[in-house]
Amino acid sequence: MSYVSPEMRAKFDEITGRYPRRQAAVIPLLHLVQEAHGSLPAEAQREVAEYLGIPAVKVQEVVSFYSMFTEKPRGRHHLMVCRTLSCALGGCQEVSATVERVLGIRHGQVTADGMFSVEEVECLAACDMGPVMQVGDTLHGHLDAGKTEALIEELKKR
Amino acid sequence: METPRYLTRNFGNPGALAHEGYVKSGGYQALKKALGMKPADIIEEVKKGNLRGRGGAGFAAGVKWGFLPKDDGGPRYLAVNADEGEPGTFKDRALLEQDPHQLIEGIAITCFANGVHAAYVYVRGEFHKGRRTLEEALRQAYQAGVLGKKVMGSDFSLDVHLHPGAGAYICGEETALLESLEGKKGFPRLKPPFPAVKGLFGRPTIINNVETLSCVPHLISMGAEAWAALGCEKNGGTKLYCLSGQVRKPGLYELPHSTTLRQLVFEHGGGPRPGRSIKAVIPGGSSSPVLTEKEMDVRMDFDSLGKAGSMLGSAATMAIDDSTSMVRLLQNVSRFYAHESCGQCTPCREGTHWMHKIIDRIAEGRGQADDLDRLLDICDNMAGKTICVLADAAVFPVQSFLRKFRAEFEEYIRKGRKMSLVGWTEEMPEAPTAAGIH
Ligand SMILES: Cc1cc2nc3c(=O)[nH]c(=O)nc-3n(C[C@H](O)[C@H](O)[C@H](O)COP(=O)(O)O)c2cc1C
Ligand code: FES
Repeated sequence: MSYVSPEMRAKFDEITGRYPRRQAAVIPLLHLVQEAHGSLPAEAQREVAEYLGIPAVKVQEVVSFYSMFTEKPRGRHHLMVCRTLSCALGGCQEVSATVERVLGIRHGQVTADGMFSVEEVECLAACDMGPVMQVGDTLHGHLDAGKTEALIEELKKR
Repeated sequence: METPRYLTRNFGNPGALAHEGYVKSGGYQALKKALGMKPADIIEEVKKGNLRGRGGAGFAAGVKWGFLPKDDGGPRYLAVNADEGEPGTFKDRALLEQDPHQLIEGIAITCFANGVHAAYVYVRGEFHKGRRTLEEALRQAYQAGVLGKKVMGSDFSLDVHLHPGAGAYICGEETALLESLEGKKGFPRLKPPFPAVKGLFGRPTIINNVETLSCVPHLISMGAEAWAALGCEKNGGTKLYCLSGQVRKPGLYELPHSTTLRQLVFEHGGGPRPGRSIKAVIPGGSSSPVLTEKEMDVRMDFDSLGKAGSMLGSAATMAIDDSTSMVRLLQNVSRFYAHESCGQCTPCREGTHWMHKIIDRIAEGRGQADDLDRLLDICDNMAGKTICVLADAAVFPVQSFLRKFRAEFEEYIRKGRKMSLVGWTEEMPEAPTAAGIH
């Protein structure tokens, strides 16, 4: 299977053109591939390396260093629960515990039906609305156990 | 008295997200003015306006720009730090999402002043909305001739590119950010050479924070004197303060640089929640040394907080009330640094983990009598011994918590398990924020 379609290749060309060195484009390109395929298996990484003309190990290093990249698929809804200082001062452990209880999975896992995954993350720069959780592109603030449960129910319907 | 708003003047006015709306609100006038000035005069103006870097270190922006070597005809770059990740900080995300053209205008003036023709905005990977908003604003800026070949009809050309991060706190450190921009893992670089001399792609590079650059149009349009007068000695302008934690009205406050910590927390933030009292404040991000309630009459500028033994840092002010255990709090902070150490330098990689392990066991009621001394020993073996200052950032909270709240730690160690299981909850049964910290 090819991870890089001709349309994606055109985007690759445009992005790579912004930098004097091709390798600089590796993070934006990996984002594109992961958005399209949900994860970055070894073969996808190899294709990006080949496109950029750099050793595959350089791409592997980047994938393993940055927390947003994943080699294994996440759930359709990936719940990122903030666990850092301000959110902790507001009671974020209650949010984490509720997510784990309602979904029956732990931080770092995916539900059996592939619908949900959970990850505890560091400060999401929304500390005035803590405790917060980011799902996809959207931030949800001022959470407690009840609101967390309601949010998950709402997501189940999507 | 209501403070006049500059950086946040367009917040809540979605019209200003579009180029046209931004222009209507007076936008891009400062750039026009700057394009008619001599580049060296702009730098001089920024120096006189006492604009201090708002990413954390408070370094004078104009002075930093002055470090760029003479133009040798080759490329030089501006890297914009939009990687905002310091715990408690939420100003740059707001600036990106609510007034992207203000940032673009600041970038354009800064590039013109420094003979830079290419800027990269490194936007934190998780900031999807900020990225989309800035992307659209950049598109419109190109279309309107604010960016590209002839900036606002002048001979100056400028390209601004957006570059996403992918989740790594360390990439907010300026040299790690450069590595990341070059497509590598974010390992900070040894200095010297400094980025001004050898930075992005081996070329002279300026790195500035989003808020710093967003101040530039206002400084240029009102003039250095007026901008300096908005703040206090050596700290010009208004400042964005990120107030969070256990206060009634957490939020983003644009206030004069001369505001005191007490004013921020009690007047603007409304003070503690009902039935509580403020016990401590972390004034400038989780690495800034903690201050007690008695120490709150300090001005929130870079120098005054420095003299008070803390830092303004990223102006992320976190209020802590009497329901919170300082031991549990430090457990959370030390976990953060252990998790975010990039692992390049041994003292930091090992030290942050050891510290976290020890604080963890104290918090869980398994502390040993000499653990506090052991912690301070580890601190001594980390601070100043690594390539970047993440190690120092991890050490400051440990040292300051132990200095100012040592009794709480000793009590945990003395009472052991009993303490951590029933101690605090027994004394303060209805602590509303029990989870996590208690
Ligand atoms: C561990 C670490 C993390 C940092 N994170 C950020 C950050 O998220 N955003 C930022 O602007 N500066 C951050 N900084 C500060 C930058 O290294 C740099 O000083 C700043 O971007 C310079 O811009 P300024 O002079 O406009 O403040 C960090 C520094 C360290 C040591
Ligand atoms: S601490 Fe949770 S968003 Fe900042």
